[in-house]
Amino acid sequence: MQNAKDSFYMALRTRLAALNPQRTVLVRGAVRPGILVEEAESPFSQLPNDVFVLRWLGLAVDMGLSSMMSAEECEIAYQTCGTQSFGGLDRGRLLSAMDKELVAMLVPCYTPKVNYASNPQAAMLTSVFWDEPEMGPIVVQRDQLTRSAKVMVCSYEEQGE
Amino acid sequence: MAANWFSAAGPVARRVRGYFAPVNRATQTPVLFDPSEQGGFALDTPPMPWVSLGWIQAFARTAGSKTWAVSGGIPAGTLQQVRQTLEAQVSFEFMSWTKLTMALATGSQHMNLLAAGAGAGAAANGAQAAAAVTVLSGSTTTFIALAAADAASFTAGSIVAVDSDYTGQTGFVGAPVTGAYVRLSLTDVDYIRRVTFNVALVSEVTSTGLILAEPLPGGAPQAGAKLQAVKGFVDREGGSFYQEWSALFVMEGSQGERIFFHYPRLQAMTSANETAIPLNAKHTGGLSRVLLKGQFLALPVTDPLDGEKVLCYRSFLPSANALV
Repeated sequence: MQNAKDSFYMALRTRLAALNPQRTVLVRGAVRPGILVEEAESPFSQLPNDVFVLRWLGLAVDMGLSSMMSAEECEIAYQTCGTQSFGGLDRGRLLSAMDKELVAMLVPCYTPKVNYASNPQAAMLTSVFWDEPEMGPIVVQRDQLTRSAKVMVCSYEEQGE
Repeated sequence: MAANWFSAAGPVARRVRGYFAPVNRATQTPVLFDPSEQGGFALDTPPMPWVSLGWIQAFARTAGSKTWAVSGGIPAGTLQQVRQTLEAQVSFEFMSWTKLTMALATGSQHMNLLAAGAGAGAAANGAQAAAAVTVLSGSTTTFIALAAADAASFTAGSIVAVDSDYTGQTGFVGAPVTGAYVRLSLTDVDYIRRVTFNVALVSEVTSTGLILAEPLPGGAPQAGAKLQAVKGFVDREGGSFYQEWSALFVMEGSQGERIFFHYPRLQAMTSANETAIPLNAKHTGGLSRVLLKGQFLALPVTDPLDGEKVLCYRSFLPSANALV
């Protein structure tokens, strides 16, 4: 499933960079598109603002198929306090903008599977696909608005995986 | 060496996409879809003359063909089977309401509600229409050339119908999409524009004509065509006309594989009916989306390959690298 998880993240990262090049994050001295995989970064004391954070949850496998299918739930969390220039009064608008970016990032609901662990990266034979996002409610904590969405990311295991 | 193939599981598809093409009713000639040549088309831009009907749901195919066992011997055993009757039905729900989906889902004639003329008396199919304006040469499927004064009488957001005057003909009317069957000559000069499928939304008005938001389903206006504003659409329970169309349904799997169901001739077999689905679990008794529900009967065509009578073609284009 690791190749599928990597491919899903890279697809979203590439799409976000095209949708909103201004949404970036500084990680270990490098400016990157504003989307991170929680398990691939140093532990956060709290989620960074204005960035999408992918968190992998439950895993299921269907072994009764000609190719085993794995499905792992991905929670995509994001939060904002708005901007200082508006005193945070634009936090609702910024969260709506992130909602819109997330939905746009997830379409189309598939991407080619790529092995990013090999050097050079190697295109695989199948595609990773996912369902429609299940958007959670806004969680308000003082001036901070947080939302998370869940999608089920599916992939067929290929020979050698 | 790494394997360059994989063993594909059953396709995982999200929804079904529907496409329409007109049947020439007078000659009973359908439009054929060739998956070997056209199967890779972009779902949003189908090959001519196919027109997208958008997403559909609750797609169900029912084969009603009956076979009969020919028996022989003592005790009798089946020697062979023969196909006794040929029948197939399709049912589904259109996710959108358009001129085309409304017309196809209803088992009768479908009409445009032409904008009424000043002081016209009320009529269930729309009152006496305001006078049509003449379409000038140079018009295309997305631009209707008009005199400046005529163009100025329309606004962006208008719906227009473009077709010829009715001149008393009988039989099937409307081309290339047949809109009605006229048994006795009528007196309404606007009748063809009432039943035409050449309907579109105006996105912009210029001094030389109207720019349409979508191509006219029937193609560029013919010489002598006229244009009238449309307020909406109407169909009736009753009448003797059945819509017929060539249908194509596509299921696209998660690995890029495609399943096609091509019905060269499909006729609505039920009257207009709708189904309401709640927007979500919270709205089981409140807000609902109203879908056009259709049930269709497939009519046979003769396959030129071998002369067999068939109702439907099912094709499968596997995903790249999948074992077959």
